[in-house]
Amino acid sequence: MSMMRFQTVERDSFFTRMDFRPKLVMMTVISIIAFVWESPAAGGLLTLVVVVASLLAGVKTGYIRMVITIMIPFYLLLLLTHGFFNVDQVKALTGKTELTTLFMFPTTWPVIGGGRMSVEGVLYGLNVIFKTLTLVLVIPLGIFTTEVDKFIVGMVRARVPYKLAFIFSATLRFVPLLFSEIQGIIEAQRLRGLAVEKMGPLKRVQVYSKVAVPLILGAMVKSQMLEVVLQSKAFTGSPDRTYLHESVLGPLDYLMIAFFVLLLIAAVVAYLTVGFGKFGGPF
Amino acid sequence: MTEPIAILDQVSYMYPRSVEPVLRDISLEVYRGEFLGLIGPTGAGKSTLCLTFNGIVPQFFGGRFFGSVTVAGLDTLEHPISHLAAHVGAVFEDPETQLIATSVENEIAFALENLRVPREEIAARIPRVLQAVRLEGTEKKHPHELSGGQKQRLAIAAALAVQPSLLILDEPTSQLDPVGSQEVFATVHELNKELGMTIIMASHAAEEMAEYADRLVLLSHGVIEAIGTPDQLYAEIEKLEHHGLRPPQVARTFYLIHQANRLPHPAPVRLKEGIAGLHSLAQSCRIIPPDHLPPPNVHEGTPLLSVKNLKHVYSDGTEALHGVSLDIHEGEYVLIIGQNGAGKSTLVKHFLKLLEPTEGIVTVGGIDTRQLTMSDLARRIGYVAQNPDNQIFNASVVEEVSFALRNLGYPKAEVEARVRETLTAMGLWEQRDQHPLSLPKGDRARVVIAAILAMKPEIIIFDEPTTGQDFQGARYILDISRELHRMGKTVIVITHHLYLMPEYAERVIVMGKGTILLDAPIRMAYHQVELLRSTFLSPPQAVSLAQELTRWDGRDFPLLTPEEVAACFSCSQDRGDR
Repeated sequence: MSMMRFQTVERDSFFTRMDFRPKLVMMTVISIIAFVWESPAAGGLLTLVVVVASLLAGVKTGYIRMVITIMIPFYLLLLLTHGFFNVDQVKALTGKTELTTLFMFPTTWPVIGGGRMSVEGVLYGLNVIFKTLTLVLVIPLGIFTTEVDKFIVGMVRARVPYKLAFIFSATLRFVPLLFSEIQGIIEAQRLRGLAVEKMGPLKRVQVYSKVAVPLILGAMVKSQMLEVVLQSKAFTGSPDRTYLHESVLGPLDYLMIAFFVLLLIAAVVAYLTVGFGKFGGPF
Repeated sequence: MTEPIAILDQVSYMYPRSVEPVLRDISLEVYRGEFLGLIGPTGAGKSTLCLTFNGIVPQFFGGRFFGSVTVAGLDTLEHPISHLAAHVGAVFEDPETQLIATSVENEIAFALENLRVPREEIAARIPRVLQAVRLEGTEKKHPHELSGGQKQRLAIAAALAVQPSLLILDEPTSQLDPVGSQEVFATVHELNKELGMTIIMASHAAEEMAEYADRLVLLSHGVIEAIGTPDQLYAEIEKLEHHGLRPPQVARTFYLIHQANRLPHPAPVRLKEGIAGLHSLAQSCRIIPPDHLPPPNVHEGTPLLSVKNLKHVYSDGTEALHGVSLDIHEGEYVLIIGQNGAGKSTLVKHFLKLLEPTEGIVTVGGIDTRQLTMSDLARRIGYVAQNPDNQIFNASVVEEVSFALRNLGYPKAEVEARVRETLTAMGLWEQRDQHPLSLPKGDRARVVIAAILAMKPEIIIFDEPTTGQDFQGARYILDISRELHRMGKTVIVITHHLYLMPEYAERVIVMGKGTILLDAPIRMAYHQVELLRSTFLSPPQAVSLAQELTRWDGRDFPLLTPEEVAACFSCSQDRGDR
């Protein structure tokens, strides 16, 4: 049951009541702003707002923690590469000829001796981290708070081809089944003496890769079965069909669309005029 | 029943890459309002035949198609599948794969939306079809929240919503427990009798097909071998067995009595008629109670596997087991039965340490499983899960069978020796270098069993090995289990197919609502009819006939199989002497 529920939030909130179209606008606007802003302070603030909104909307803290945990190695790499090597771009953005040293390896050390980490480079790395976090977290805020059927109708009304919308929803429908199959296969392996808990990461990857064979074969059988089922239900992928659920925009939806469009305009204007969100700018 | 709703005229079909036809020269008329059963072994062409009615064969699969199929006056080659879908509803085997929406009402609406039925009309039809399958009030539920039987009934409701002329059901009960199966058959029967819906159903459930079908078609190797009423077809025991099919136990019992006593055929094929037939035989034949039924084997000493006051509560608060205590001794063959949710799998998972007790103790060989790792347990307990394909992860049979041995750290020479020994014993040595998934289904199951046997476990658990198998496939796996038992292994089998087990099991554990309802020798357990019914299990027909004999005669007939029941009748010269 928990598998089935991971894709939707259980709490009724402002976000669950909203039509999918304003959420689509929200996701687009926030993604654009996250992409444009280079200031770690502004970017961090945007990430914080998205995290708080996700929690208020009922996205589980466990999910957010999982996303951050998965991303940690990537983020460390980002901080190191930007801190040590992103010199020219950071100099150009800040207009400085010399960057502030945060840390330097002793020159006597072989290979890395004299390597210097800059404060500005680290800050730029933080900015990239916040960008990716915002992009990764705004998606569940929009999707997990939408019932799949409303999501399809919303997408079709937003002129996304019906076939594409359906493929997306079918994927969501079958993800829990896939997870339970993976679990079953790993269980079968463990019952044949495979002690995953005693293995190093490389060996684990090797073991997990073996799950792929039965999984892919199972998925192929299932996908052909699914196609037969769809055909027998007169599915052609044509948008020329009726819908049980209407997708009508209410006043709240219009208000939210207007809010996000204005937010985008304000962000762009502030960025261009007072440099809000610029790296090394006033904010 | 004179007007045909579907006509197949000399239909032959080959899938794109197959080397021989799956259907050969099939000519058949399906009449409006009838319940037509399709019977035949796995690979006979039943599913392909079902898919010809809605044009999926050949329009979706391609291949070579000869002859013609007409449904509701429409030639299935000339009309697109999406058009034919308005006339033919289809329900398939797997309840998981065929439900595609995220709520019950959307599942029903899906085909109607595709057929451009107006929203108001869709909304009006949803409660009607839910009522027809007795799923009222579930509109907003996620299909995952329904039981197996409810899911299949939802699939039927979704098919009914388009108001088809014909409803096709391909093995709709093979994945279900007895309750689910009963629910589906009762629903289909009601639709057929009360709404006049034309039904075509492929199924291995012989007793139910005898009960509900008007006509049967026996298909084998793509050819129609016989068409007739259940009374006609199921009375032809030799023909059925020749094609690897199982007749209803009533039919087989009377066939054996008639054969032994040179009585004229035909035999009854339904339980009710069988009981009436038994009364009439009892009046004219001598009834000899069994005098040499083998006593149950007694296993004593320290138990190999022991459970004391086991309780398990899942993380969501569901109490799956409570107060479970049992001992299993070395060399026993134990059958565990009960409905889905009765706690069978939860119990077995504790033996393997896939689950840990919330309360209580599980010991294997006298050692508390909390002190053992899963690898330790894997050496002692082999587990064969339902679908062999989910248990194959290697590129060759040899690698598959050596997988566990390598994991358990055996020296190379011993791994090689054990692999050779096991593959030779299982008759798989010749196929050792082949990819396991390239082998036929029966051989794939053998590879999985070989992979487990190579660890030389003392206990082997078969979890639902007969689900989704035809009679021959199920017998094949159970015969292996019997061989292992004869070799001295302790065997535990979980299955819903009670009729298959008298030849194999010694002891039966009946589970219900998370606890053990009965633990007794099979001869005693199968005759606890009321208790079995209380947990929605039906005894095999031979047991019901034996009980009727006990009621009639007054002496005890603790019989389990058609052979045992038939052996009690002597209808020669001294008739009437009871």
